[in-house]
Amino acid sequence: MLSLPQLLWIAMIWAIIIAGAWLLAKYLFNVYTGKRSRLDRFLEPVERTIYRLIGVDPSVQMTGREYFVAVLLFSVFATALCFAILVLQGYLPFNPQHFTGMRWDTALNTAISFSTNTNLQHYAGESTLSYMSQMAAIQFEQFVSAAVGICVAVAVFRGFSGRFKGIGNFYYDFVRSITRVLLPMAVIAALVLVSAGVPQTLGGYVTASTIGGGAQTLAVGPVASLVSIMQLGTNGGGYYGANSANPFQNPTPFTNWLEIALMLILVTSMPFLFGRMVGNAREGRTLLIAAYVIYGINIAIAFAGATTLAAGMETGLGAFSSTFWTVTATSTMTGSANAALSAFNPLVILAALFGMFIQAAPGGIGVGMVYMLLYVVLTVFIVGLMVGRTPEYLGVKILPKDIKNAVIGFVAHPILIMVPLALAFSVGAVSATGVGTGPTGFTQVLYEFTSAAANNGSDFMGVAANTVFFNVSTAVVMWLGRFIGIAVMLVIADSMLHRQRVAQTGLRTDNLVFVAVLVISIIILTVLTFFPVLVLGPILSSLQGLGTI
Amino acid sequence: MGNSDAGKQTAGTGHKPDWTAILSESVTRMSPARLARNPVMFIVEMAFIVVAIMAADPTLIPLVSSQAQQAFYVYVAVILLLTVWFSTLSDSVAEAQVRSTASSLKQIEQEVQAKRLDSDRHVSPVSSKSLRKGDIIRVEKGERVPIDSVVLEGIAMVDESLLTGESAPVRKAPTDMLIGGSTLVSDALVAQVSVDPGETYLSKLINMVESSARPKTPNEAAISVLLLGLTAIFTVVMVSILWLSVTLSLGVDLSVLIALYVCLLPTTIGALLPAIGISGINRMSANRIIAKSGKAIETAGDTDAILLDKTGTITLGNRVATDFIPLGGHSAKEVGEAAFMSSWYDDTPEGRSIMNLAYELGCVPREFRSISRAEATEFSASTRKSGLKLARPGLFLFPKGGKTVLQRSRVRKKYAAVKEQGPELDISKGAPDAIAQSVRSVPEGFDEMVQEISSSGDTPMAITVNNEVVGLIRLKDQLKPGIRDKINAVKVMGITPVMITGDQPLTAKSIASEVGIDDYVSRAKPETKMEVVKREQASAKIVAMIGDGTNDAPALAAADVGLAMASGTMAAKEAANMVDLESNPAKIIDVVMLGKQLLMTRGAVTTFSVANDVAKYFAIVPVMFSSLPALGAINVLGLPPQTTVLAALIFNAAVIPALIPLALRGARFKPQGTMSIFLKNALTYGLGGVVLPFIGIEAIGQFIRLL
Repeated sequence: MLSLPQLLWIAMIWAIIIAGAWLLAKYLFNVYTGKRSRLDRFLEPVERTIYRLIGVDPSVQMTGREYFVAVLLFSVFATALCFAILVLQGYLPFNPQHFTGMRWDTALNTAISFSTNTNLQHYAGESTLSYMSQMAAIQFEQFVSAAVGICVAVAVFRGFSGRFKGIGNFYYDFVRSITRVLLPMAVIAALVLVSAGVPQTLGGYVTASTIGGGAQTLAVGPVASLVSIMQLGTNGGGYYGANSANPFQNPTPFTNWLEIALMLILVTSMPFLFGRMVGNAREGRTLLIAAYVIYGINIAIAFAGATTLAAGMETGLGAFSSTFWTVTATSTMTGSANAALSAFNPLVILAALFGMFIQAAPGGIGVGMVYMLLYVVLTVFIVGLMVGRTPEYLGVKILPKDIKNAVIGFVAHPILIMVPLALAFSVGAVSATGVGTGPTGFTQVLYEFTSAAANNGSDFMGVAANTVFFNVSTAVVMWLGRFIGIAVMLVIADSMLHRQRVAQTGLRTDNLVFVAVLVISIIILTVLTFFPVLVLGPILSSLQGLGTI
Repeated sequence: MGNSDAGKQTAGTGHKPDWTAILSESVTRMSPARLARNPVMFIVEMAFIVVAIMAADPTLIPLVSSQAQQAFYVYVAVILLLTVWFSTLSDSVAEAQVRSTASSLKQIEQEVQAKRLDSDRHVSPVSSKSLRKGDIIRVEKGERVPIDSVVLEGIAMVDESLLTGESAPVRKAPTDMLIGGSTLVSDALVAQVSVDPGETYLSKLINMVESSARPKTPNEAAISVLLLGLTAIFTVVMVSILWLSVTLSLGVDLSVLIALYVCLLPTTIGALLPAIGISGINRMSANRIIAKSGKAIETAGDTDAILLDKTGTITLGNRVATDFIPLGGHSAKEVGEAAFMSSWYDDTPEGRSIMNLAYELGCVPREFRSISRAEATEFSASTRKSGLKLARPGLFLFPKGGKTVLQRSRVRKKYAAVKEQGPELDISKGAPDAIAQSVRSVPEGFDEMVQEISSSGDTPMAITVNNEVVGLIRLKDQLKPGIRDKINAVKVMGITPVMITGDQPLTAKSIASEVGIDDYVSRAKPETKMEVVKREQASAKIVAMIGDGTNDAPALAAADVGLAMASGTMAAKEAANMVDLESNPAKIIDVVMLGKQLLMTRGAVTTFSVANDVAKYFAIVPVMFSSLPALGAINVLGLPPQTTVLAALIFNAAVIPALIPLALRGARFKPQGTMSIFLKNALTYGLGGVVLPFIGIEAIGQFIRLL
């Protein structure tokens, strides 16, 4: 249970983040609507050079299909590049520890994991990856996959808004996301992290003599720069296998809460950006409140049970910050961790799973808000008819084809989770990893595929999942989980763009009643879909009175 | 062959449902081939087959069944079959309703003998089916009008009650529309056939009713997609649970899994969706409105602005004189008498009402009837006045008893003046502005009075005697009974009513404010409607309007919902997407409400159906994983396992027939703001949909326990 000071602390953190996100959204609006800015003097020449190098005209408006193809091709390219670096790292520079190349299936999984903004890690970074891999493969992908997420969101917003010429140009959005949003923010965050004690070096690992007289190798490296983008871009793939439970990645309470804020800031600014782009701040605020209400419910579920953690399971920051971190990392699709999941009460895992089932509260960078709009389309359609009008959102009537696309996007998620789940157990892939078939083992495998399908990357099996079956199956799930949702929402947005807008006299979507309706229908749709598997996993563990999962 | 007997039976309401036919129809509809059009129910039927096999011999489906449960399987199978049957039954009931409407309409449309006139006006008897557009026909008293046509010659009273339900006969004169199926109750008419057989209103109405189930409207299509999506999700869930159960030996019984699956499927809305659509069309036809498509009805529900013609929609159309207002020193009686005479030749309802008022007030010139020479001054567009000229003014000016009113000296003076001007007395009435132009000067207070009458919503009319204004007549517009409530209902639902009238601004304003309309257009010209439609559409509104004239056709076509009057011109009816056989313009409001009700009913049943699933999960899941006793904690109903499953299944099936009446009559709603309607429906069907099954399943479960 949460104490009053803890509640106030959460309220304060959220208030700071929301205020910051609101300010950030103003800036983002200018970035993506091409408003003149003082930065243009420095950045425009750079951006023009990039456009020329890749040979694109950033002023061309793309159709939804073209935008999607651009996203897809770019992601294929990024995946291939990452795969090549990981496999060939033994022959590449910046490898002071002389790590050899990765196994093909782990490399495939890792490449897709990072290019889809998932960051599921079936390896321990500090004992597997060279500096080259950490920076050119991992960190590069963390930037570009986050940028792709923002691009998709902005394109979808343009379509829903109908106030723009088109849904935009992927290359324009992408380059600006890097140069004007992610890179500057990551640099600032990294500098703050370094000043707080997170290492940043290209020198080799450090050997220290301990008080006991022995020698210990301290794995250091370019940690701060990676941590900043991993949290900011809701990537979550850490430098170390233990992620932010490793004291170098997260040395102090300050870095802990700073990293939480980094996870939330861009994600939280997306609804504000949406409100600005559709020209009605209230519409954006409503969705933000809905997302935070669900996020709050997840927090409440997580803290409903005992939250003490066993010693050695976390960084010593306490159960409160570890639990809060875990729910936040799974609600935002960051998936980073500052404690071992196996240490938690089943209800914390339940809350984490819930966040990843919903994917929109507040969800991954850009994509979270895109899924929120998918829920809005479904909700408005189901309940909107009850006012006696053809359901409409932002004045656009919801047509059968929108429902078709939204339903495809919605159905894909449970299919991508449950089919491989059943498959994994039935072909014996689970027992091969040594994971049991009791509720805990069931939850671990469920969690694995849920995390993959939601592009979260939070990890309950760890290196145990470094088998061909899990590497390949989760790679497929991550890829489809990423691009099915993006595809259908780009199609919906594209078709809304040109549709006639009518006066909004139906169900209002910019007030607290709609927040309630949206939250309830998201929860009901999610529960209806996932209740049986939750029952077999965390709910059963909890009912059996297990203190930890 | 004037079959007047049929006239006693009003179409659409006469037939009792034929229950044997409905029952046998509902059973034949259960064949898998016919059911395949409704995927949800098809799946339920397949589920029935699987459980039936288990009931017959559990060993046929090993691993997920047990010999000991055979009796239970029989129960489950029976309930599944009942679920399918309830669904086909609701379709059959809805369609039986439609068929009875159609067949009573067909009775009117039956073939009759018609009299066709050749070019030399020779009458030849032909069948009504052989008449073609352009043919000339003759219809006599007591005969049925064989086909839609336009009167060329004659005036007659026609009984249209079969078609419109309006019992009073209607007067038909040249250029009026005759609707096939109506009966002449007096005189005879010569008319020109205006359509080919098969294109008459009646056949269109029958067509609409009979084809109501066929094309899916956009909303229906979208709901169907949603239902398929939900079905897909639950299929994935169930298949993976079955798969996991076999792999992990969870001991899930297939029949329980199937029971859960069927309970979760959106069976309620899946079963009732066709019936809701059919009943919407049926309610339209019961209102004698031909909708050219189901989509038009849905669009009507989306209306944001309604254009209302003042005359005929808001007001009865006949203005009634209520007051004679003397001016320039004349008496009220004097004005009344002049008004009486001015209307002597005026056959319009207004003219008659002026004469009636004069009678009532005792303003009839006593010896007026003995006037030997009176000559009518016809209304002309240039002078815009009418009246009469009398050769013997004296009789008028010295009525008996008039002395009390008229001062002798003034009468003398006037008489002298009349004499001076000549023997004729010229009395006329007309619009004040027209009169003001034709006289040298208007008496004191004329403009103010005109202003006052106009601003109270009435129409002033000026009366002159020998080109001197003696006073004004107040003509009151009479509101249609109940129109204020209807307009109020429209407004609270968030729809803007726009009144269109040819009246001057003050009159228009007054009437508009009397019925609560804020937006009106006065001094409307024929093209005004089009402008208003364009204006409203430019502000992104869905516009509904009514029209009858050829002038209205472009606007009717441009409006999102165009309702044409059956009495209107062909062009108007072609352009509109609905035609009202009763030619009652106020019905546009009913059309909008019907459209809303249709959409609301679909939304309500969909929401209810989805909300129901929550309780069913909580009921069945603990039972399903009976090998995991810890799950007993979430078994909130506390019933024995098999009882729970049966109770949930029975509830699931029973909801369908329980909601058939709702589907057929539509969700009831009071005209309220969008938010109130939403909250009310969300609580009733959403929250109610979550709570009711808990109560229902528990109650059914306790009942089963007693048995």
